[in-house]
Amino acid sequence: MSERRPFHRAQPRTWWAQKPYLAYTVRELSGVAVAAYGAILLAGLVCLWRGPEAYATYLRLLGSDVAFVVHVALLAVMLWHVLTWFQILPKTMPKLILRGQQVPQRLMTRIALLAAVACSAGLLIVVVAIGALS
Amino acid sequence: MSPSIPSHPAPKRAMAPVFWLLFGAGGMLSALFGPALIVLTGFMLPHGWGLPARFADYSHVLAFARHPIGKLVLLAVIALFFWHGAERLFLTLKDMRVGTLLMLRLMTYGVAAILTLVTIALLMAIGF
Repeated sequence: MSERRPFHRAQPRTWWAQKPYLAYTVRELSGVAVAAYGAILLAGLVCLWRGPEAYATYLRLLGSDVAFVVHVALLAVMLWHVLTWFQILPKTMPKLILRGQQVPQRLMTRIALLAAVACSAGLLIVVVAIGALS
Repeated sequence: MSPSIPSHPAPKRAMAPVFWLLFGAGGMLSALFGPALIVLTGFMLPHGWGLPARFADYSHVLAFARHPIGKLVLLAVIALFFWHGAERLFLTLKDMRVGTLLMLRLMTYGVAAILTLVTIALLMAIGF
């Protein structure tokens, strides 16, 4: 009987920490930072539910030096996520053809990044405007 | 004699597209608004930068969380961010062969599912 025995090349267990896979690993684990930020917001929701005292504690912790450093790190990873997310975007989409020419992937990434900048900046401007008018 | 058409049982539907959709939605939401949200809740609200001092007040934020639109925003941001992280972590740990698939699913999708339910419960408990 011929049993299928495909060849498996030996691979070190830490392949994901080595080039060229490291960039992939870093990109995928940026999702953990996104989830961690969600957890910070969820903690705020818990404190909001528990009452004014718990919420005051949450705000004080959010204003601490440690929280500041954590948020700087989260922001850095989030920006890396934004960049890589839109680098992947054209690869996950069907080919876009305009006037018989395929739209280059770099151009799509660039336009999507501009849209992301517009969304984030727009949100901050709206919030600041609401604050100024209220 | 007419050829008989072989009848196959209906294919088993995979759950993967559901997780993929949640992953994509969370990834897009965080890519478009994530940086602004971190700047807002991490720097501006606690330090009062660019905002009136009472903007982060308990009553103010409570009113936001009690409004239906505020609830929807909070649920979308928190739950979808969890599902995005869960999918990426699951696939990475699977590639790293850290454990059995069931264990990895419980660690990632399971946690995201529980935290989504907790978020919904909190938003309901906070009231309207």
